[in-house]
Amino acid sequence: MASGWVEKVSAFCRSPSRFLFGTSSEVFLAELLRELRDDRANYTVKVLLLSPLCEYPALLCPSDSVGEETALELMSIFTQSPPKFVQFRSQLLVALTCVLTCSSDVSGRLRAFPDFLDLLLQLAQDTSDLHGDAAPRSLRATACDCLREMEALYPGLLSQRLELLGGHRHQETSRLHQAYAGLQALVLRNAVYQLTQEKEAGAAHLRALLGGNESVECEADQNAGPASGKDSAPLSSVIFGPMGTVPTLHTGPDCKELRSALSSLLEESYLFTPLSQAALLYRLTEVVAMVPAIPPTIFRAQLLRLLGTSEVTLLHTTLLMKSAFTDSLFSSEDEAFLFKRLVVLSQHPLLSTPEKLFYMDCILHFPENRPISCGDSDEALPVLLTPRLASALLPVVFNDSATLLSRFNLLSLVYLEAGEEEDGRGLEYLYEHLTSLLRIVESGGKRENVVTFFRAAFLFLFHFHHVERYCDNLSQQLCQLYLQHTRFAPHLINLADRTQEKLPDSSWALGLLKALQRVISETPVSQTTLRDLRWHLKVLTRAAEEGEISQHGTLRFLSGIIPPSSSSLSSSGDWRLGNGILGVCRRLLVHPSLESMFIPLADILQHVAGHYGDTDIRDHARLYYTLLTTLSREKLATVLAHHAEGGQQVKKRTLSCLMTEGEGLTSILTIHETEVAIIRLIEADCEQLEAEDLVQDEAERGEPVLETYRAQFGSAAFASQVTLKFLLTHTETRDARFDQLFSIRLHFSLTDDHYSELQDLSVPCLFRERPPPVVTLTLKPREPYPSSLHVSAIFTTQDGLTWHTTLPDIRVCFQQIFLPLPAPPSWGRAGRQAVFAGLWEEMSSETGECASSLFCCQLEEKALSALVEKHFLPFLVSDPSHKDEFRALLFLPPQSHVLLKISSEEDAVHFCIATDNWELLPHINDYLLKITAS
Amino acid sequence: MSLRALWIISHEKGEHASIRFSRRFATVELRAKRLSGSSYVAVPEDDCFLQLLLTELGLSGSKQAFVAQRDDCLYRPRSPALELHITAPGKGTLWPVLAISQAHLTLACLPLVDASPGQRPPLSSLLSESQGLSFLAGLQTFLLAPGSKQDGEGLVSRLALLPSVLLQVCPLGTPLELPLTGTLAMPSPLTSAGIQKQPAWRTGLYRGRAVVNVSVVETVRSMQYGNRSRQDLWDVYGTVACKCEVEGVLPNVTVTLSLPPNGSPLQDILVHPCVTSLDSSVLTASSVEHWDGSAFSGPYKFPFSPPLEPFILCSYTSQVPVPPILGSYQLKEEESQLHVSVVLKLHESVKNSFEYCEAHLPFYNRDQMGVVEVKVSSGQLDVSKEKNLLVWALGQKFPKTREVTMEGKILFSGPEPGPSEPLCTGLTAYIKLYFKVPDTTLSGCSVDQHSVQVYSSAKPRIVTSRELHSKDYWIWNSTVFSLPHNHKHKSPP
Repeated sequence: MASGWVEKVSAFCRSPSRFLFGTSSEVFLAELLRELRDDRANYTVKVLLLSPLCEYPALLCPSDSVGEETALELMSIFTQSPPKFVQFRSQLLVALTCVLTCSSDVSGRLRAFPDFLDLLLQLAQDTSDLHGDAAPRSLRATACDCLREMEALYPGLLSQRLELLGGHRHQETSRLHQAYAGLQALVLRNAVYQLTQEKEAGAAHLRALLGGNESVECEADQNAGPASGKDSAPLSSVIFGPMGTVPTLHTGPDCKELRSALSSLLEESYLFTPLSQAALLYRLTEVVAMVPAIPPTIFRAQLLRLLGTSEVTLLHTTLLMKSAFTDSLFSSEDEAFLFKRLVVLSQHPLLSTPEKLFYMDCILHFPENRPISCGDSDEALPVLLTPRLASALLPVVFNDSATLLSRFNLLSLVYLEAGEEEDGRGLEYLYEHLTSLLRIVESGGKRENVVTFFRAAFLFLFHFHHVERYCDNLSQQLCQLYLQHTRFAPHLINLADRTQEKLPDSSWALGLLKALQRVISETPVSQTTLRDLRWHLKVLTRAAEEGEISQHGTLRFLSGIIPPSSSSLSSSGDWRLGNGILGVCRRLLVHPSLESMFIPLADILQHVAGHYGDTDIRDHARLYYTLLTTLSREKLATVLAHHAEGGQQVKKRTLSCLMTEGEGLTSILTIHETEVAIIRLIEADCEQLEAEDLVQDEAERGEPVLETYRAQFGSAAFASQVTLKFLLTHTETRDARFDQLFSIRLHFSLTDDHYSELQDLSVPCLFRERPPPVVTLTLKPREPYPSSLHVSAIFTTQDGLTWHTTLPDIRVCFQQIFLPLPAPPSWGRAGRQAVFAGLWEEMSSETGECASSLFCCQLEEKALSALVEKHFLPFLVSDPSHKDEFRALLFLPPQSHVLLKISSEEDAVHFCIATDNWELLPHINDYLLKITAS
Repeated sequence: MSLRALWIISHEKGEHASIRFSRRFATVELRAKRLSGSSYVAVPEDDCFLQLLLTELGLSGSKQAFVAQRDDCLYRPRSPALELHITAPGKGTLWPVLAISQAHLTLACLPLVDASPGQRPPLSSLLSESQGLSFLAGLQTFLLAPGSKQDGEGLVSRLALLPSVLLQVCPLGTPLELPLTGTLAMPSPLTSAGIQKQPAWRTGLYRGRAVVNVSVVETVRSMQYGNRSRQDLWDVYGTVACKCEVEGVLPNVTVTLSLPPNGSPLQDILVHPCVTSLDSSVLTASSVEHWDGSAFSGPYKFPFSPPLEPFILCSYTSQVPVPPILGSYQLKEEESQLHVSVVLKLHESVKNSFEYCEAHLPFYNRDQMGVVEVKVSSGQLDVSKEKNLLVWALGQKFPKTREVTMEGKILFSGPEPGPSEPLCTGLTAYIKLYFKVPDTTLSGCSVDQHSVQVYSSAKPRIVTSRELHSKDYWIWNSTVFSLPHNHKHKSPP
């Protein structure tokens, strides 16, 4: 049992959506709660059972009412659980916090909320365990943390308890004082923030909060405040508020209470773990920043200890103080010292790489006392970072790639800033470093080295694209690299793309492509392998996109590889290679200098069309050739033009490209997910099943009818299917992209095992303005019960993209499974009546699964006839004209029957029911209730 | 200051990756949702997250040479805060995902960005960033703590403990403390608390005789080129590790580090947060500035109140005038043979008493070694032909002359190619030195037994120790100049 739960819970947490596919959240929640209430269950397992509630409360309790019920349930479990199971009780508090906060909508707050808050406060104050074992302390700590989280979610929730919390912290001597302090600091910060938002607020209000003697104003506050249910949103950090302004509370110089509360927290801060200490100091920094009457120097005594620390989070707090208070806490010497410290830390041999990278980021965002640029540009170089100081951070080839690139970027910024003063020595170093990386790549570096090199090259170009000397040399080196390792073609193309995109004014990328084109066209074809050739064609395709690059070299190269005499490459008929060649040609067709290339290009295309080994390639070459020779320049350009996106994608691909070059392919090959349901299935108005015209003149049968009837069950195809019809339509959501859908494939999945798996269905198309297509769904029941089906669909839109969408579930109602008696077609009414009589007799005996029942209701005779006509006509076995008793036989595949004798008695209409499957009784009862009520 | 979610992932170089543990903090997620409004991006399910993270870390699809999403040359300051681009369902960018890796284990978390929506704040303005880094590092130490087998049962048993550990240290997504690595007992109770407040990082009380253990461990790194055009480089850093078993709620201990009369000052000092106060002069010397000779050079006093578990009291770097072992490595290609000549000199100031000293000479990008005719003046030579590696064990002592040599020829005529390494092509090659010298430090830094003060009634037992060992100690072949630039421009004084 226990292990079953372990797997179940871990399956849920791994992927709730997949897990809930097989069940529903209500069912799972009910199971969890039942197991939690079970006294026999193991408490270790119970702790585990709480994790879905802690991690996905909103999924399991999607509405206020479910949240409310679950919370009440959990609270009663809490009161009943024995105190010795501390871990379970703590986890239960956590789960309650999650359920109570996350299941309600943004505005509302659940009714159980105040009770839970009281429980937490009571637990947090419960010091009766002073001499007991250690356990309840942890419950108290958890209660404090739950309160802290609630205060974070609903700022101001506990502001009236500030004095109380301060008192507890003061008295507490065990490690728990940290939990109180964390809570107190947050409540204090939120309370001060709220005061800053009130126009009239001043010193008196602050005093009232801290002293806790609730004045009139405070009570008024309380009524308007969050405790009344009107929630304020969680607060973002006040130091980095919008527009960089800090809200302030003007108190005048008199705020002794606040000052003493702050000093007492600061004095004890040393006793906290670094993580809690940093959080506390940050909260206090926020408070001091909001109250100008408190001088930031209140932190002075802690500074030296913090500046020397090895803890990243404590030093970070110091930096945040610096950013909040600048020169009112840090003199220029302090600033210089702190900055040097950062440089030291970002290359300290004992720190971990992520920490060093973090410090490097801090250098680039160093909060200077007097920043020169007041712009909000992302990375500004602090004045303090001189080339001399920065030399400690020179990149070296032994750095890991993240460090290397980060240093490379930093140093680039430094040398860019230093410019002439530094006579280019730094720049020289960086370039040398780049060449070292290139050497490593050249001599067979790993993939990571390659990627790092190209990123470093991009950084170099990005910062120093104006220094031609180095950039030209880099182009040359890259060409050499390419000749040695043609597999770097995608990297080079990517580098060209990026530099062109980020540096629109620079022509470096053009130069690189030109140089690559040159080296490729100068390579003797005899020395080219098939693999090289593919890469060459990729590079040439990219170069052909540039109107400014003359394409004669490319044409020369193409004509070099085409004639079968020079190599066996093109006669091999390799489809991909042919596609590569055509890719280049296609770009050439839209190149501005097409005029001058007309004849050689036509020759090439003609040659490919006539001699290439692959038919598909020949066909395409012929198409291009025709296009080239028959269309005017303008038309050619329109036909082949690039359509970056939108509705032309399909045409572009079918007309001019066999295989897409590059990454555009991904969006075509990816299945996209719609955000909302865009199509649905609605029940088609079923044409009533017609009452069959029965053969009247049929001889009495000698043989037992039941046997004959049942003999049919042996045949597999016998009346085992139910057919449902639906209309496939758009939902109300209007999205022009989805107005026309093609090749829709509907996939149905079962929610239970009452039916056999369903086949996928295909619908050719769905247009918004046309009548909806009918979808026929054939169900094969295993058990004839109502059910619902999940439906999803994959379809194509006009722009050629493929989408996946989920449709609203469809319900299979009980009455939809009814079939008329599947008697042999030759039988007339008499035979059917005989079957009815025989079955009735059997079922009335109530043996095995058989059962009979009676349903009564008040109905006029006329209404009864109408009802029978409307709902039972196809199933009637008796003559419809015999109004005193109707006999209906409902056949439910695969082999169940429900027999009805409907008659008007004195007081009421009686539906006598007999069935060979007693589990159908509740369903038939529901059904009768429904149809007789309307 | 809170985390939205936490993941622990194991993989073998990107293969067989799986999420071993994950935790979402629902209330923090709710705060994220309310704080970021319309720009909110939900945390994806585990499978999706794993794929995205592996791609971003460059660990996925190792067989493909170029994957645009992974290998784009556009520089994004990646580590330590990654961006994950979620495509479906619910598009958006998940930022800042922190990830740290060690061996086969990657830990990741998503800190809450408590800034107003819209513009992305710089990483350095988010306290949750450093909190996340600290917390991940703490978890990593806990999961990979010594005493547990690296990948086997140790990790499994520690992962199983994680839910209850998290309930203690981070119940609702706000990390409060780091998991304890040592014994995983519940915090021991306090019998009588008294007036003195117990530090939150001190998990219990010690009873018994006071014992204070202080050890100074120095590490020396070096890069020697034996070449006039490039300066040799070396640096030294040290850590002072303590284990204090002292009675009392908040006991006072002071450790003093001292240097020899003309020793160069300790630089870049970092101290453990349990150090109660610091003299500003202790922090002044720094390796990124030139030392003007007037700097404070001790004694360095560290008053602190120790935690129960062993900890690093402080660390420092130092600039020593000479490397402990100066090497010269010369390789010459003679026809098909490689002529090897090595000289190692132990500096006179270093104690000639090693625990071990070994020189490793690997040869890359060549066939396996065939004939090895190499003589050494001292010590033993091991030849590993498969690995193309010479291991020269120098033993416990250098000879009286403090100089050892190796001379000889190697013929690479083996049947198969040896190991390859892109950095070491042609004659670019190195010697790597591994040594450890007990009871000495290069900077001269020491802790005198009598300088350790413990304010307690009983007389404490005090144990101090020192040692020096090498790390990344390279000596490069000086006959080629092709080796890329690879160290700081900085020079020793």
